[in-house]
Amino acid sequence: MSERVRQALRQAPLPDEAGAADRAWALVERAFESRERIPWAGKRRGPLVALVAAGAIAVAALTPPGMAVVDRFRDAVGREPSQPALVKLPAPGRLLVLSPEGPWVVQEDGSKRLLGDYEDASWSPRGLFVIATRGHQLVALDSESGEPRWSLSRTEPVRDPGWSGGGLDTRIAYRAGDTLHIVAGDGSPDAVVADGVAPVAPAWKPDSHVLAYADAAGHVHVFDADTRRQLWRTRTVKGVRELAFSGNRLAVSTSTRVVVFRRGEPTPFLELPRGHVLLDTAIIGFGGVLYADYDPRNDSTTLFRSDCTIAGACRLMPDTRMFEGPGRISNLVTSPDRAWITAGWPAADQFLFFESAPRRLGKVDAVSNVTAEFSPGGEAGGVFPEIAGWAPPPS
Amino acid sequence: MAGAGREERAWVRGAQAGSASDLEALFRHHWPGAYRAAYLVVHDGAAAEDIAQEAFLSAVRALDSFDRRRPFGPWLHRIVVNRAIDWTRARALRREVGDEQLAVAPSRPETPPDDLSNEIMAALGSLSPDHRAVVVLRYVLDYSPGEIAELLELPRGTVNSRLRRGLDTMQERVMREQS
Repeated sequence: MSERVRQALRQAPLPDEAGAADRAWALVERAFESRERIPWAGKRRGPLVALVAAGAIAVAALTPPGMAVVDRFRDAVGREPSQPALVKLPAPGRLLVLSPEGPWVVQEDGSKRLLGDYEDASWSPRGLFVIATRGHQLVALDSESGEPRWSLSRTEPVRDPGWSGGGLDTRIAYRAGDTLHIVAGDGSPDAVVADGVAPVAPAWKPDSHVLAYADAAGHVHVFDADTRRQLWRTRTVKGVRELAFSGNRLAVSTSTRVVVFRRGEPTPFLELPRGHVLLDTAIIGFGGVLYADYDPRNDSTTLFRSDCTIAGACRLMPDTRMFEGPGRISNLVTSPDRAWITAGWPAADQFLFFESAPRRLGKVDAVSNVTAEFSPGGEAGGVFPEIAGWAPPPS
Repeated sequence: MAGAGREERAWVRGAQAGSASDLEALFRHHWPGAYRAAYLVVHDGAAAEDIAQEAFLSAVRALDSFDRRRPFGPWLHRIVVNRAIDWTRARALRREVGDEQLAVAPSRPETPPDDLSNEIMAALGSLSPDHRAVVVLRYVLDYSPGEIAELLELPRGTVNSRLRRGLDTMQERVMREQS
């Protein structure tokens, strides 16, 4: 039977097979030619940008902030040939890149230094230090020399260290098992501030000592780290994966949606089509949001810029498709001035650098061969590195 | 799988460098399989043409970033078959027409198919879109059950059971028609 099925299905006549091929080729060829002529974003966007400017405030009142319509979009970004190596950063500052060997500090001129055998890591607010973990240890390192400044140990494995802003009096939040700790920037004192926390990185409100964390029951708590007073708490959000502040608002992301909370009041912001996966989000300039929408059925990721800002203002146009490629594209990290956004693209072995203009994404620079670059000895089959943060230039 | 060879990589490389003729070679090589697969899942000529066309347009959009080490065919066929399944489900929901009416051979065949072929086509049309998809991937595009499992992100056991059940159902239907 199976051979007969094979034969019948392969020989079954199709409707206008030759005509269909010719019509499709004509379209594909046109798309290919226009792709070759696609300029960097900007040329085709003048009227749209004007419309954005004119309509933004009025539309904010008319359009519910939320619910991206991802089947309507427009292409907005061209691209240039990738660079074979990370020879310089497109913007001032330094990158912190995590590889299996440990965290690397990449300077603006592309030179880089391996800080040592650590796991998680993140920048201090001004980039003078890196806070890193190694098993049960939390270690503060000098970002230039890699010298440890202080360390402390816990009985549980230490994860997700994050350094607050707020002037010289800084705090570091981290998880040890399912407890949340806060320690002063100089290494003491250290205190447990919550139990039963979810395995989600806590998030500091910029330039403050206000911290958000998710508990195992799905509530997100926002509290003042100095007074230990809870400021507000959300209702249950299932499957919290990421927390990020923009001003007074907190964006809570799951694998399919983003909800924005202001003093505990939720506003649905984004919901992906069924079956799609939200890989990552980044808050870009002016409270805009870039998000990575992975479609497992096509094994491809599309980076969209939301039509709404975290603050609730929406533009007239639907979400803008900025970039698309096979495999997973995520690890969205903004530069200190939010003028650039990086993304990691393991399938292409590339880091992507997008220029972010006030109401659009500009050009994209791609850097190839990053796995080998962050694997001493350049062994094949290494692990694709992760961008952990982008710090300002040394002051 | 056919088409995953050195020649295909050369076409992809050429198309990435801007060669329309290499892109056309890639298109002409893969169009027949993509269109046939789409048609056999959706049983609608216009929809199949749209689906296969859209898959190629996606390929053009992603061309610059396509990893030449990966074969092009599975990537394209994954898009085609999944979109075809979606389209068929959506049509069923809209209740525009029943599958039975669409499960016949298209108009004006170049050579009249024999009765058995017609019955096999009709039997394929009687399967659910999910079952049709695995049958088409296996018997038209020649993927192994393991490869189908990877393409459709299904457990291999599910693929095997859909294949077995699909063939059994088709066989029962053909035998019923013939008796």
